[in-house]
Amino acid sequence: MQRPIIQTAGLTRVFKNTRAVDSLDLAIQPGALFGLIGPDGAGKTTTLRLLAGLLDITAGSAEVAGFDLGKQPEAAKARIGYMAQQFSLYGELSVQENLRFFSDLYGVPSAQQAGRSERLLRFAGLDGFKDRRAAHLSGGMQKKLALACTLIHQPQILLLDEPTTGVDPVSRREFWNILTDLHLEGTTILVSTPYMDEADRCSQVGLMYSGRLVVCDTPQAIRERIEGEIVALHPQDWQAARRLVAGLPGVSEVQTYGETLLLIVDSARLRLPQIENALQQEGLVYQSARQAPPRMEEAFISLIRRMESEKTPHPEAG
Amino acid sequence: MSLRRIRAVARKEIHHIFRDRSTLFLVLFTPTLLLLLMAYALTVDLQDIPIAVLDLDRSEASRRFAAQITAGNDLTLYAQVESPAEIEALLVRGEIKAALIIHPNFSADLLALRGIPLQIIIDGTEPESGGFAVQHVGRRAEAFVTESLAGQLQAAGVPPEALQAVDLRVRTWYNPSLKPRNDLIPGLLSMILGFPALSVALTLAHEREHGTMEQLMATPIGRWELLLGKMVPYILVGLINTIVIPLLAMAWFRIPFNGSFPLFFGLSAIFLFAILSMGIIIGVFMRTQAAALALSFLLIFFPGFFLTGIFFPIAAMPEIVRLESLFLPGTHYAIITRGIFLPGIGLDVLWPYAVMLFFLGLVFTGVAALFFRKKLA
Amino acid sequence: MIARIASLVVKEFIHLRRDWWLPAFMLLGGALELLLIGWATSRPITNLPLMVYDQDQSAASRALIVSLENTGTFDLLRQAPNLDAIQAAMERGEINAALVIPPDFSAQILSQGGRPALPVMLNGAESVSARAALQAVEGVAGALNERIVVRRLGIDEEAFRGFTPGLRVWFNENLKESYYTTPAELGLMLEFTVLLFAALSFSRERELGTLEQLLVMPFSSLEIIIGKSIPVILIGFFDFLLMLGMVHFVFDVPVRGSLALLLVLALGYLMVELGKGLVISVVSRTQHQAFLLVMMIGMTDFMFTGYAAPVESMPRAIQLLANLVPAHHWLNILRGVMLKGAGLDVLWPSLLALAVLGVLIGGFSLAFVRRALN
Repeated sequence: MQRPIIQTAGLTRVFKNTRAVDSLDLAIQPGALFGLIGPDGAGKTTTLRLLAGLLDITAGSAEVAGFDLGKQPEAAKARIGYMAQQFSLYGELSVQENLRFFSDLYGVPSAQQAGRSERLLRFAGLDGFKDRRAAHLSGGMQKKLALACTLIHQPQILLLDEPTTGVDPVSRREFWNILTDLHLEGTTILVSTPYMDEADRCSQVGLMYSGRLVVCDTPQAIRERIEGEIVALHPQDWQAARRLVAGLPGVSEVQTYGETLLLIVDSARLRLPQIENALQQEGLVYQSARQAPPRMEEAFISLIRRMESEKTPHPEAG
Repeated sequence: MSLRRIRAVARKEIHHIFRDRSTLFLVLFTPTLLLLLMAYALTVDLQDIPIAVLDLDRSEASRRFAAQITAGNDLTLYAQVESPAEIEALLVRGEIKAALIIHPNFSADLLALRGIPLQIIIDGTEPESGGFAVQHVGRRAEAFVTESLAGQLQAAGVPPEALQAVDLRVRTWYNPSLKPRNDLIPGLLSMILGFPALSVALTLAHEREHGTMEQLMATPIGRWELLLGKMVPYILVGLINTIVIPLLAMAWFRIPFNGSFPLFFGLSAIFLFAILSMGIIIGVFMRTQAAALALSFLLIFFPGFFLTGIFFPIAAMPEIVRLESLFLPGTHYAIITRGIFLPGIGLDVLWPYAVMLFFLGLVFTGVAALFFRKKLA
Repeated sequence: MIARIASLVVKEFIHLRRDWWLPAFMLLGGALELLLIGWATSRPITNLPLMVYDQDQSAASRALIVSLENTGTFDLLRQAPNLDAIQAAMERGEINAALVIPPDFSAQILSQGGRPALPVMLNGAESVSARAALQAVEGVAGALNERIVVRRLGIDEEAFRGFTPGLRVWFNENLKESYYTTPAELGLMLEFTVLLFAALSFSRERELGTLEQLLVMPFSSLEIIIGKSIPVILIGFFDFLLMLGMVHFVFDVPVRGSLALLLVLALGYLMVELGKGLVISVVSRTQHQAFLLVMMIGMTDFMFTGYAAPVESMPRAIQLLANLVPAHHWLNILRGVMLKGAGLDVLWPSLLALAVLGVLIGGFSLAFVRRALN
């Protein structure tokens, strides 16, 4: 195993009274496409900002690209491309001028500058908009421009904070295609995302919960962490059905997706007939009831629920 | 320190100013407008002060005296009044700034060498005009006494000059007519040219408010590079004004310029460095533009106007304020500009002020760089 | 409607609390600045460095130097050994005035027909100080002159009242500087505070993109304007009270007229400035622009408050312009009520002018801001 390119030990950041990041131990291998997931306020943005050298570390240590962030943050910054959650380029500068600005700041050799920005603009599908002011680009294009700006110095590490939030599905797909290309080229990418389908595209996923990294594994392994199996149910009256099935034996959890209910059961083979029976007895009509493969989404919700119930333990759970 | 990064920041900042026409217009021309305003309104020569005259003597001499007082442009006879009550009413209304009362025995006392029974009443709420009237009346009274008594004295064998025994020969150097405009305009250059400092104070807060600071801090740009880069465009704007404003002052307002222009230009550049560094410090500490603005009014604008010795001499200020004024670049620059414009002195005299300005600039930028942390919180 | 406006006002204040620097500066900054500047500048011009080249070195010359020092205007820097020293010191700006006492000074005084010469050099590069110095020198020379004349002409000293006119200062009997500087400085601080605060109200939201959000909420534009105005007026009025208290208690400036009248008129004046500020606020796209406009308008207004130069001496056209400046009338009112004890019977022209300007500016700003918001 290689030496991790991002490694933190007990990394902690305290704001006033909240521990936004709490004793985080993280090790990311070079070339990984690491997805950081977790509910809002879990500490994802703080983690990324800490790793980008934008925040002081309260306790613990972090090493990025071989540099201790406490001691040599500037050396690390030269090897990082960081993209903030909000649009943070200069709206009154054109696409080209933004790229030029960042290539000057990162000291990209002048001889390579033109070629690189040309390539990046094509890569990001922005070559037709070189002279447009960044403020006048669509949300998706702004994100792609921001990515291009963080790539201009060919960083070893990309830190992306929810890069696709607020972007339409087509641009989102395009954006991820770019990330996958970068991943294939060997860039280490740490990306936080609220979308579970995106987490599925990562080589490794870390789940943060109240400042801690609670799970860190491959998407496959995380999906398999669901204790039990999944039954998908399409009832006509989902509210009544939900009340009914939640109390059935062997059903540990019910998640609602529109009018579909996903039940986590100890054994689908055993419980499916029982569930159907119960529904029929109550006279509740349903279109289908079948076993379904676990997805990231269910795994995520299930894990978060477990966290929350551990935080406020039920008296009978003990 | 990388020149390329400074240049990149400066170029971006220039784009920022130039992209918005109205901002560009305001940044470039506010100093000129300030000059015009100040020159036309602030530095007027006192004249046409409205006064009232109450002549209780009603003699030929008193009438002649009253006519002499209001001859010329200095004082204007607003009203010939009949009673002190009228004077009071006019003063309360602010319609006159001073009143002259000629007492009943004016001509008798004068001829008997008992003195000159005159009283001037001035409005103590705006005593500048009143003080001017007092001075004017005093001089006219002196002349009037000499003139009225000439015959009498000659008859007594005393030369008329005897009444003017002391031969006060006042010479005002560098500004013979003592026109306030001639020294206030050069003095006010520190306000006019230093004006972009307030804009500089906004630029860092602007980046914070718009979220661009986050991206900027994630790059390996040095603190000095960022701060200097931010100052460069405003130094350039300032240097343009350093040429335009004195030319305007000389051509339009006939302000004499007796010194060396290259020296003025060079020292102005140092001043700009110092005053803009002051703006930068504010930008470093304030998170929002509004707060930066409010603070730069409090720390740069008002003190620059009142505490740098342009209007009110520093020598007369309390010790602590005198000490404080040493830290205001405007104090040193006002000495430099007045020195170069009027006596036309050179670096041999002005070097301590230049050194002080440069030192202030370094200290301010140093403090700014010291406290500017490339961290978000 | 009132409840909706109240909710807007609450939102504004929550906003202000989050960015607490701004209201802190608005509230206390002006008052503290007034304290500092008032303290520094509301005093007689004293301690002007003076150099004397005394070639006479007699009792008379020494008495003259002492009487110059006694005016308080001067601070004898040192005796000059020669004229070159004076020239050099003047060039360096070390002195504001120099006096040369010729070798025959006392001899001329004592002789029957002599004219003691008194060459005085003033540094015209600082005209304010030079004028103060001139006044002091003229006073001393005048007194000396009178003594000589009285002696020479054998005038009865008991009956002699002097050839200089007697002076009485009204409304400010002791000619205290604070009486005339601090009200003008108060006016300046108040105007800038209110103007700046009002000017930022919309420009700030527009620049940061939150204005749209405000406009899509179910508020009428009038409600939005009122909601934005109330905090400005409240803070401005509180600021005024604070500064008025400071001027009165720290600088001993009396309030001779009716305090209630002054407060009511202050409120009116604040509304007029608010109107100007709101217009600036909607014509500016960025806070930077708003600031530059405030600067220009605020400085223009300050010129007409009589702080540095009396309006009467300005060119006719500019005097007419002065009538359009609310601060000009406001300063009349402020000085009138505080120092002259004037009431409405005297101040009505200023009040009328302010009211007319208020209606014009207010009406224009309301119509303009509403149009800009819609």
